Amino acid sequence: MHASISLPVSPARQAEAARNARDARNDRVFGWVLKACALLVLASLIGAAASTLWGGSDAFRTFGWGFLTSDAWDPGNDRFGALVPVMGTVVTALIALLIAVPISFGIALFLTEIAPSWLRGPVSSAIELLAGIPSIIYGMWGLFIFAPFVAEHIKPWLMNTFSDAPPDGQISWLVQHVPWIAKFFSSDYPFFGAGVLTAGMVLAIMIIPFISSVMREVFQTVPTRLKESAYALGSSTWEVVWDIVLPYTRSAVIGGVFLGLGRALGETMAVAFVLGNTFKFTPSILETGSSIASTIANQFGEAEGLQKSALMALAFLLFVVTFIVLLIARLMLRQLGNREGR
Amino acid sequence: MTNMNEAAPSFAATAQTGKPDNSQFPTKMTVRDLNFHYGDFHALKNIAMDIPEKKVTAIIGPSGCGKSTLLRIFNRIYAIYPKLVATGEIVLDGENILDAKYSLNRLRSKVGMVFQKPVPFPMTIFENVAYGIRHHEKLSRADMESRVEQALRSAALWDEVKDKLKQSALGLSGGQQQRLCIARGIALKPEVLLLDEPTSALDPIATSRIEQLVEELKNDYTIVIVTHNMQQAARCSDLTAFMYMGELVEFDRTEKIFTKPNKKQTEDYITGRFG
Repeated sequence: MHASISLPVSPARQAEAARNARDARNDRVFGWVLKACALLVLASLIGAAASTLWGGSDAFRTFGWGFLTSDAWDPGNDRFGALVPVMGTVVTALIALLIAVPISFGIALFLTEIAPSWLRGPVSSAIELLAGIPSIIYGMWGLFIFAPFVAEHIKPWLMNTFSDAPPDGQISWLVQHVPWIAKFFSSDYPFFGAGVLTAGMVLAIMIIPFISSVMREVFQTVPTRLKESAYALGSSTWEVVWDIVLPYTRSAVIGGVFLGLGRALGETMAVAFVLGNTFKFTPSILETGSSIASTIANQFGEAEGLQKSALMALAFLLFVVTFIVLLIARLMLRQLGNREGR
Repeated sequence: MTNMNEAAPSFAATAQTGKPDNSQFPTKMTVRDLNFHYGDFHALKNIAMDIPEKKVTAIIGPSGCGKSTLLRIFNRIYAIYPKLVATGEIVLDGENILDAKYSLNRLRSKVGMVFQKPVPFPMTIFENVAYGIRHHEKLSRADMESRVEQALRSAALWDEVKDKLKQSALGLSGGQQQRLCIARGIALKPEVLLLDEPTSALDPIATSRIEQLVEELKNDYTIVIVTHNMQQAARCSDLTAFMYMGELVEFDRTEKIFTKPNKKQTEDYITGRFG
């Protein structure tokens, strides 16, 4: 480079330098474009959060912290509180996880460890198809088919077993000895199928494809030789799965679970159909309730003034709930990592 | 380390007998009429061999000759895959291990295995060794600690890891990881140790440490080692089996195989004419 100053510059050299400059410029532009794409995500996230906070500021100012703890939702008197929708969102999502995680785990393990190869293809495609069904269809199915089924078969059994006002009139041994359990299983309308539990179960069916396909993919990444070494030490299939496969794939599995949880928290239509959309506060999972997303979907059309602001505030709270969930996931991963001596 | 030239004189008296002269060693494992199929492929054909106790038996041969397959039958690790069938007999301490009634758990506590590439579990160093023991014995904390230490010492790894037992095993070097895998195997106090090309993924220094270790371990264990490396077989085994296309071509004392093989095929392979 220094030498080239004193040398006569050949045309070939000139062309090469020009090409160099062009390449450097193109790379620079390419870098900017990529950066802009990435920043767009960040900007839309911040923008959405800020605008919902801005839109909800009226409600936050009017009710203060009371907005979070109040179970009122009374558009007639302009009194609003987020407790019922927030709780409905969290509880339905948790019920969905409780059901979906073990089942997804079973599906993924069966497909990767046990299923004969001819069965793997069809079951995997069935899972993908399940993921592709629009949520409105789940909602309709939930309302017309699943909720009546719950009312007829599942709810009576649960109430007979766990509530203090069972349809068959006999208070179970469990409820006699552990009375507080009845709180979670009481219902004023024993023959009405919609409710928190039903919504949780429909959500579970909706998130199973997501969780199980993530799990299946990561279970496939466990090296054969790792599993063989565990078998060679005398492990059973269950021990290999529990001690080797799960720890090896831990972060991806937790990622998959939280992907499902995120979907369950934000799911709107299916929940709006089967949750009942009532605003009475109750710990019972057999009662109807509301979720943030279903409340917004049901009321946005005719909302005005403070009610509109309250819905915006709810939307902002959904951001907060999702953020907290992601934070918990991160902390959990770090905790697990520490325990393994990483 | 012993190389074959140094070892040769001690065997000189029996070197010229012609027939496989293994009878001087007590037998640990007897293989008879062993056949193995992968689907339609006949991978092992009528294998018969006596594996001597507390000696190192090397199995050599070109890729695809069935040497790893044979090793994987000795602890029935192949049984985790469906549709693989081994027929014949492998008698270990008077019992046929191929018998479906022979407990896999017990077999794997008696016959340990170390694989080609080091495969530490995603756990701490201590847990890697303790893991296998837990499947077979319930030990108190103190007993477990001494058992782990003992295993790490026998695998010549203790001094390098004693201060970081609580760290992840994935942070060890390749050679250390492989010795950890050996420690994990011998922690179960097996009688037979199977090594499947244990140094193929290691550098020369780590390789020589493993070979040294094999030399020490044969005082306590019957060792069967599959290797691609003929020098390794010559350096660290007492007996060598040469396999070709699923058949056991020749099985004899190592220095006999490497100096005066009976079969032309063996000689061709040893001298590098094929394989």
